[in-house]
Amino acid sequence: MPMATKTDPTVLVKRQFTKKEITAAQEAPGKPHGRTAGSWVYDLCALKKVITLCPLCTHKFNPGKFHYRKEKEFPVVQAKCDGCDTFDVRCSAYFFEETYHQVRSTAADRRAERTAHMRKMKKEQGI
Amino acid sequence: MKFEYLLGGGTPTLKKYKMAAGHAAGIVVLVAAAGATGLSTSTTTSWADAVGLTMDPIVNVGQPVSYSVVQNQPEYLQTVVVNPDAVIKALLVGSAANAALETRTVGTASANGLTVVGTTGDTDPSSPDMDEGTVWYSSGANGGASRKITSTTTTLTVTVIMPFAANRVGDKYHTIDYTVGTPDVTLSTDLQNVRGDIAATGAEARVIDLQLNGATNSYLELLISDHLFGTNT
Repeated sequence: MPMATKTDPTVLVKRQFTKKEITAAQEAPGKPHGRTAGSWVYDLCALKKVITLCPLCTHKFNPGKFHYRKEKEFPVVQAKCDGCDTFDVRCSAYFFEETYHQVRSTAADRRAERTAHMRKMKKEQGI
Repeated sequence: MKFEYLLGGGTPTLKKYKMAAGHAAGIVVLVAAAGATGLSTSTTTSWADAVGLTMDPIVNVGQPVSYSVVQNQPEYLQTVVVNPDAVIKALLVGSAANAALETRTVGTASANGLTVVGTTGDTDPSSPDMDEGTVWYSSGANGGASRKITSTTTTLTVTVIMPFAANRVGDKYHTIDYTVGTPDVTLSTDLQNVRGDIAATGAEARVIDLQLNGATNSYLELLISDHLFGTNT
């Protein structure tokens, strides 16, 4: 009589994902499969998203045409290129003009605000 | 709120994330909550496990939207600056609904400059307690000068150690419960500004500098103190 083969019971252990792993999974995958870079960037522009482009793609984008402005205080940012889906440490960032001052404070803004405030105080003091 | 600069210099890192809801531009977002479809909104009193500051809005043909439950629709994305040493500039406001910061008026002159005494009708600076915060003038001989508050009393008085110049009745000034290093902030309902009318408590942050101007244009510079990629408590 053949002996019954003994198999090890399968033990299922639920994996405990860390918060960093959960967040990494939330990162957007980028350009959908089959879309051209230009069409994808055009869609992002229509949604007023920040556009990040690597040195090889950035010259193909005309920010003024879409009411965008280049971030000049940070000439380079680390990001995934919206054109070629490659993470690059020398990307250029473009912000929609309307939202730029909602989310960015530049040295020029701070200088202008301080100057206006000092001028107002001097006027009140009659100097 | 606005992204201002990086404490350590260098370049910001921008990442596009899937979002659980239509977050506004310029608010802190948190690690995805259990059961949520993307990064979660911060609250007025919590920045626990923050991922960063949103740099663009969620819009669909110009209108803010929530995530779609229609089959095969694209996911909504937002760009987030994820550096843990990103300095966030937050406007100081006087209420949850973003009223201007209270402008107080000197009611009793102080010749030695060690106290600043308000006028009847001003909010009592000891409740909410502004002790260990900052007092600064926006008019008069002390216009633009600020000092750390070392004590407050119910008689509309705040005391400082390093004296101001002598003030005059009618000079305008402001008080907040924040100074360099103060932990935790309470945000306005729209999560865009910091409430300067109440004592410092709430969302996990540290004040690294103050930009003190007038009632509608004074700011805190903040670092998130419970960041997913930095100091995580």
